[in-house]
Amino acid sequence: MATNREPEFNPQLAAFARSAITRRTALGGLAAVAATGFLAACGTPGKAPTASAGASKTPLSAPDLSDTEKVVNWSNWPQYIDVNDKGKRPTLDAFIKESGIKVKYNEDYNDNDEFFAKVRPLLEAGKDTGRDVWCSTDWMVARLKRLGYIQPLDKANIPNAANLATSLTNVEFDPGRAFSLPWQSGFAGIAYNPKSTGGKAVTTIDQLLHDATLKGKVTLLTEMRDTVGLILMEQGKRLDNFTAEDFAAALQVLSDAKDAGQIKGFTGNDYTKPLASGDTAACVAWTGDVVQLRLDNPSLGFVLPEKGFTLWSDNFVIPAMAQHKKNAEKVINYYYDPKVMAEVAAYVNYIAPVQGVKEVLTKSDPSMANNDLIFPSDATLAKSQVFRGLTAEEETTFTRQFQALVTG
Amino acid sequence: MALVVPGVRPVKRRAVRRWGTFTPLILLAPAMLWLTVFFVVPTFSLASQSLQTGDIDNGFVLTWHFQTYAEALGRYWPQFLRSLIYAGSATVITLLVGYPLAWFIAHRSGRFKTMLLVLVIAPFFTNFLIRTLAWQIILTDTGPVTGFFRATGLIHVLQWLGLVTSDALLYSPFAVISGLAYNFLPFMVLPLYTSLERLDLRYLDAAGDLYANGWNTFWKVIWPLSLPGVVSGTLLTFIPAAGDYINSKLLGNTQTVMIGQVIDAQFLRVLDYPTAAALSFILMATIIVMVGLYVRAAGTEELV
Amino acid sequence: MVEGATRKATGELRLVELFREYDDFVAVNGIDLDVPPGSFFALLGPSGCGKTTTLRMIAGLEEPTSGRIFLGTDDITNTRAHQRRVNTVFQSYALFPHLNIIDNVGFGLRQLKVANWKTKAMEALELVKLADRAKQKPRQLSGGMQQRVALARAIVNEPEILLLDEPLGALDLKLRREMQIELKRIQQEVGITFIHVTHDQEEAMTMADTVAVMRAGRIEQLGEPAALYDKPATAFVANFLGQSNLLPIEVTAVAGDRTTVASHGTSLVVESGAIPTEAPDGLRLGIRPEKLRLVSANDSVWTNKLSGEVTDASFNGVSTTYLVRMPWGQELTVTQPNDGTARATLGEQVTIAWDPHHAFVIGAD
Repeated sequence: MATNREPEFNPQLAAFARSAITRRTALGGLAAVAATGFLAACGTPGKAPTASAGASKTPLSAPDLSDTEKVVNWSNWPQYIDVNDKGKRPTLDAFIKESGIKVKYNEDYNDNDEFFAKVRPLLEAGKDTGRDVWCSTDWMVARLKRLGYIQPLDKANIPNAANLATSLTNVEFDPGRAFSLPWQSGFAGIAYNPKSTGGKAVTTIDQLLHDATLKGKVTLLTEMRDTVGLILMEQGKRLDNFTAEDFAAALQVLSDAKDAGQIKGFTGNDYTKPLASGDTAACVAWTGDVVQLRLDNPSLGFVLPEKGFTLWSDNFVIPAMAQHKKNAEKVINYYYDPKVMAEVAAYVNYIAPVQGVKEVLTKSDPSMANNDLIFPSDATLAKSQVFRGLTAEEETTFTRQFQALVTG
Repeated sequence: MALVVPGVRPVKRRAVRRWGTFTPLILLAPAMLWLTVFFVVPTFSLASQSLQTGDIDNGFVLTWHFQTYAEALGRYWPQFLRSLIYAGSATVITLLVGYPLAWFIAHRSGRFKTMLLVLVIAPFFTNFLIRTLAWQIILTDTGPVTGFFRATGLIHVLQWLGLVTSDALLYSPFAVISGLAYNFLPFMVLPLYTSLERLDLRYLDAAGDLYANGWNTFWKVIWPLSLPGVVSGTLLTFIPAAGDYINSKLLGNTQTVMIGQVIDAQFLRVLDYPTAAALSFILMATIIVMVGLYVRAAGTEELV
Repeated sequence: MVEGATRKATGELRLVELFREYDDFVAVNGIDLDVPPGSFFALLGPSGCGKTTTLRMIAGLEEPTSGRIFLGTDDITNTRAHQRRVNTVFQSYALFPHLNIIDNVGFGLRQLKVANWKTKAMEALELVKLADRAKQKPRQLSGGMQQRVALARAIVNEPEILLLDEPLGALDLKLRREMQIELKRIQQEVGITFIHVTHDQEEAMTMADTVAVMRAGRIEQLGEPAALYDKPATAFVANFLGQSNLLPIEVTAVAGDRTTVASHGTSLVVESGAIPTEAPDGLRLGIRPEKLRLVSANDSVWTNKLSGEVTDASFNGVSTTYLVRMPWGQELTVTQPNDGTARATLGEQVTIAWDPHHAFVIGAD
């Protein structure tokens, strides 16, 4: 970690450094081919720190083939788009028919960190990832932007971007939404299974971490920003201005609860099954999951803590060296049509970041339009907070501390 | 070649000899290339990575920072030890379950042999993750298995052994070891089957004829003759089990974290590649040393 | 383990009404047998006659369907193999491949908790002349050596009875001859009862004091080798133990110890004692080829004579074997020792003769 940051960006130097990397990578091609995931991600021995340390790097762009190749490669999270009874994706198929652009939709984005590990070696080497657009969570967008791995969006190709919900237009990690546009948003709150809590509701993080009746039957998320964020708010901190001490104090609370045997484990989105079966009594959960779980288990409880809860988004980004940038932007523009987004929202049950969706759904599905977890009221939104962007140093330190606790 | 054959010109002989020298090398080349590309290079790359310092923003530089090893081991030795204990327990369980099973399939199953072998491999037809998740359902709190353990009081035995902490089976060392044993059972059964199937049953007659009772026949004849299968089975089970992180992640709790989970977290989430590499290297070295000692103790090279 | 079978040094085996039935066939169909202690006893028969099954039942490796097995006065029918003071030399030798020679030989002694097993095992190896191979693995030894190790491994335990299951089957002819003599020597040296299963009549006759010829799960005939050979009771035994010329006969007159019979119109003389009392019909006269002599046509010494034409002659050094066709078409085999008498030629009319004392008579099967 370089301590003295260079405020000015020197494009020539950066270009030199990058080409050097590229060439070295070419020489070490054998090793790169040989090593899967982990090893391919290895830094090259003796690699000098780039001059742009600390500052955002300029992303590389490739010649756009959009006009000649009517194709776009989109990577997204599993089960994150509308699917009909026949297993087809109606909105996507409609776009393909309407635009003549073939969308290769891959559900290969299972986890921010895993996906990052997969594409980093290519992006680091200045190569095309084979993908034109994907959906990353806020903090990952911040990291990708910092590393120069994503390109600015050409808003001229996305006139519908004007439909973006006002609360999301100016986020700290991407002022003016130059690099990203939200795909879906959601809250992290507390879910519980009354069968296992003895009918008791779990309403606060304090209760989740200390109520003896839940001992050993609580799961938290491996997503640090949701888990620690909720504890910070419980302790009266704000997520946009907490300090390293606040973070450490929150981790201490977490550590104590873990040592007391209150917490069974830290999970990704695999928390849903044990929650439904009752093996997990209460947990931190995401709204979209809960809405879907409740269709089969209406008794499941979900609480947005009074002291605050996290609001996150997964955002469209276009990676460096993408071959079909304009086509990707057309896809984004298409989904920013409220009528289209309404279809997606009706299926995935997360919060749609596009204005006008609620109006569309009020006509077609009023019960959904009235669901506060899908169309939160202003009062609800006012209590939600977004985890602030972390500096590179903070990100490293906090993640290390949090993971030491998770795997300790 | 020592004999000088009259009438054969030396030039010709040299040419023949050169072919003779190079042919094995040529034949070995693909294997050597494979080994180099998929083992030597990655190993060096891993070693290099483990001695680097830096971060993803500034890149990693080789600084011969051996400290990483000391720190990694100092902080994560409990997870190392736990991984070895869990993998060892799972190996013993698979051996205890797999040996009679392999014997039955090899010598007692008659015309059902093929079917039983297919059944042993059948779990591989499903995804590793799905198979492990199935154990969440098997060991669920309200399920019959947990009910049985509670009703018979076996749960107290497990508690006394420290294999469960409460009256639940799921999310405990017990669940993790069970999951490991289940997932790696075929790796134990198949080599054992091959070994036992080959075993000439006439040796059993001979042992009985020479005054060995059932136990001694097993211990002095069957067991030593099946050692090659036992050794390969235990290695095929222990090595991947020691590095496994899915079972402890899905079936364990915060006190059952195995080293695979730590490496996963260090590599994927913390992005501390040197520590992840150092941990991988330590795991690899530990396993190589243990396997070396084990194979020597088992003395399999002596066997036919 | 062998409490029930402490040594009484009888070595006497008795089988009573022994049966072994499988789902689809009867392997052993009622055997009664007494094997006196210290004897070398052979069970001889073609493959599938039940001899190996009998052996395995004696060893305790197979359970009889019914019947009893006695070792001396002890009924051992229901004891397990490892509880019987009986050892086996297996056809495949079944030497444990993971143990070296001395450990193979000492295996039984160690199971019996014999303190000085190593010394005894070495003695046994010396007996079979393989003491210098003690530290080697079985696969480093030749077939003949392995055979001797298997023998040492069995006799070192000083069993009441030693069972040998076709022990020489895998050896070549020369080695087999050597081992036959060797086995006989060792048997006389250690004095253990040997029960030897074989399909090789020569092997059985060379070694055994008593031979039991088995057929289809039963004992067809039992006796000393010479008695069996010279006076077989059935056509099966006659043909299984060497070659025989069989002529159909009818009794025409009995005068004291001489009985006159007719075969294809020719009058022949046999000893009255040779005529079986049961089954008086379908009698056949049997003469071994080597008992027949070529004599001159006007000979007056021999009582039994037949004439025919030589259709085949093969000389093998020790003797010449002829096929002589009788007027009624049957070909008799004649073996003439190479003792200086004149040899017949192909197509020659010859007269063959035999001493009534050398012929035997068998009834119908």
